[in-house]
Amino acid sequence: MSVIGAVAKKEFMQLKSEPRLIGFLIFMPIMMLVLFGYALRLEPKDVNMAYVDEDKSYFSSLIKTNLWSDGYFKLYKVDSKKQIIEEIRSGRAHAGMFIQKDFSKELTDNEQPHVQFFVDGTMPSLATSMKNNSSAIDDKDVTSDMYFLGEDADNVVIADAPFVVDTEVLFNEDELETWFFLPAVIGVLIMQIALVLAGISLVREKENNTLEQLLVAPISKTQLIIAKILPYTLIGLFEFYFILALGYFIFDLPLPASAYFSLILLSIVYVGAMIALGLFISVISQTQQQAMFIAIFIIIPSVLLSGMIFPVEAMPEFIRPIAYILPLTYFNEIIRGVLIKETLFMDLSIDYLALAGFALFFSVASILKFKRYVA
Amino acid sequence: MITLSNITKSFNRSNVVNNLSLEIAKGEIFGLLGPNAAGKTTTIRILCGLLKPSSGEASIGGIALSDNSDALKHKIGYVAQYFGLYDELSVMENLRFYASLYERTDEKTLLGLLKRYKIFEYKDAKAGSLSGGYKRRLSLCCALCHQPEVLFLDEPTAGIDPSTRKELWDIFYELSQEGKTLFVTTHYMEEAQRCNKIAFLNKGVVVAEGSPTEVENSLEAYDVYKLTQEFKYELLEVLRTDDLVHLVNQFGDELRIIVKKECSKEWLGGLIAPYTQGDVSLESTRANLEDVFIALTQEVVA
Repeated sequence: MSVIGAVAKKEFMQLKSEPRLIGFLIFMPIMMLVLFGYALRLEPKDVNMAYVDEDKSYFSSLIKTNLWSDGYFKLYKVDSKKQIIEEIRSGRAHAGMFIQKDFSKELTDNEQPHVQFFVDGTMPSLATSMKNNSSAIDDKDVTSDMYFLGEDADNVVIADAPFVVDTEVLFNEDELETWFFLPAVIGVLIMQIALVLAGISLVREKENNTLEQLLVAPISKTQLIIAKILPYTLIGLFEFYFILALGYFIFDLPLPASAYFSLILLSIVYVGAMIALGLFISVISQTQQQAMFIAIFIIIPSVLLSGMIFPVEAMPEFIRPIAYILPLTYFNEIIRGVLIKETLFMDLSIDYLALAGFALFFSVASILKFKRYVA
Repeated sequence: MITLSNITKSFNRSNVVNNLSLEIAKGEIFGLLGPNAAGKTTTIRILCGLLKPSSGEASIGGIALSDNSDALKHKIGYVAQYFGLYDELSVMENLRFYASLYERTDEKTLLGLLKRYKIFEYKDAKAGSLSGGYKRRLSLCCALCHQPEVLFLDEPTAGIDPSTRKELWDIFYELSQEGKTLFVTTHYMEEAQRCNKIAFLNKGVVVAEGSPTEVENSLEAYDVYKLTQEFKYELLEVLRTDDLVHLVNQFGDELRIIVKKECSKEWLGGLIAPYTQGDVSLESTRANLEDVFIALTQEVVA
């Protein structure tokens, strides 16, 4: 028993000398609790909704005001039904509403007019919850105001449901969960491979004492970092197309011709960003174990917060900034856009730029940090 | 060939190497000696460009270290105490890789190196499967693949069996004959004897320097005696606490006693007599490197 005690004690002593590890042991569970407790609500909030109101009446305004005050949607005006669809395709909106010209007339004539509702089908969980929450526009609060009970007006008899809501799911009409998840899974797999491979690459040289020999040789630290980035980027690119092909052949993932150029560009900036991030982890770690911990530390929040499973719009405001410092968020936005909605390149240029920015930032940070490293 | 002037390196405000100045000529085998944590490895790493000195200047073959130029890197080879080999690569792949860093990839030359250092028969074996001695040979090949003028060897024979150690030293002599300068750290005294020039480093300070004979003579202010008979253990305590006795060094069956000049052989014999049986067999002798090593180490500690 005493030998077990001795070894166990030694393990704790070793752990004590790794303050970062202790940080992980304490910080990780706190972070996970916060994420699961607060962030991962499936109720969307502040979802951008493009609307057209051709009726421009008291009643149509009533619907808009109620939608707005409910907090689910942030409304903005566009000019035509076609533009609503374009807004959703580009990712600027995930929902749309069209109120036809004769809405108030039909309402007062008790003809049960229709309000058209559009939902982005590439985010099935959003679509589902929006369908459920569309009741917000025809619940009693709204409809009760639609009775005329004024002194001068005749009493108007209105049916229990004064108007009908048609919800149309755009893109991925069947709300296929695989089409929603699969593109994002590509991003997570690339992330895992890149962070693990690149994350270990340099720290392994430290642990095996080969780094010293390399640094004595006529190769600069910058050259060394670049020499590390290149091979892993090639492996990452291969993986990207390999997984994409699997998705196409096994799960019938759509691969429209319009996406080819975007996919090539996406693979380069995303794989580049991930490898550079992995290498940065490797530079700041002292042991392979540490590098693995940091990698996991990045992968888990990425899965939870990037919009991969839960729409970013469904997260509380204070968590959202985290989503926007995760490369996977931009990757998801791009790949779902180009594969399923055939979003135009220009509409996603910010996302591409963000990923390129990550790649550049972590490459430069790795080089600068490594330059200050003394073996 | 190698010049260090007033090199100081401090970590957390304590000087690991303190104001170190050395001059090493071309073709010399220079031995840097000292106990553990004396600053030997730090000195070598400064010279190999792996650490920046806190102050002072150094140059190798006329090129200042501070230049950190590729020309300098081509001049030096470094065999670290734990030379980093890629375990999963074969002997030849390791050598080829290190050679490619210097753009010296002529296959014939590389195979020649493996033959010369008697590791050719293992050229396809994985480096991880080699024994300690063969790993050392491979490290040496990797460090020599670009024909450096200066070779830094950090405890090259630590943990190596005596016959391999001798073979390695034969190699070092050959290299020195070819005009290469060797900078070796060690704490084996018999290895120090093999160097052309040695320096004792203790707590980052050079406490003795010169040829092995010159360094042995640095204990000239003392007389050295050896006692070659059995004695009672208490004798050690008696000697160590006597003001006239500078140092007591047990060396196999011998007890080496270093005393101040004013201490006569008769007086010492009288001090020892109660702790031995029969006549005291005390012989006057010369100081060896170990005596000096221990004496110098103790002085700085005191």
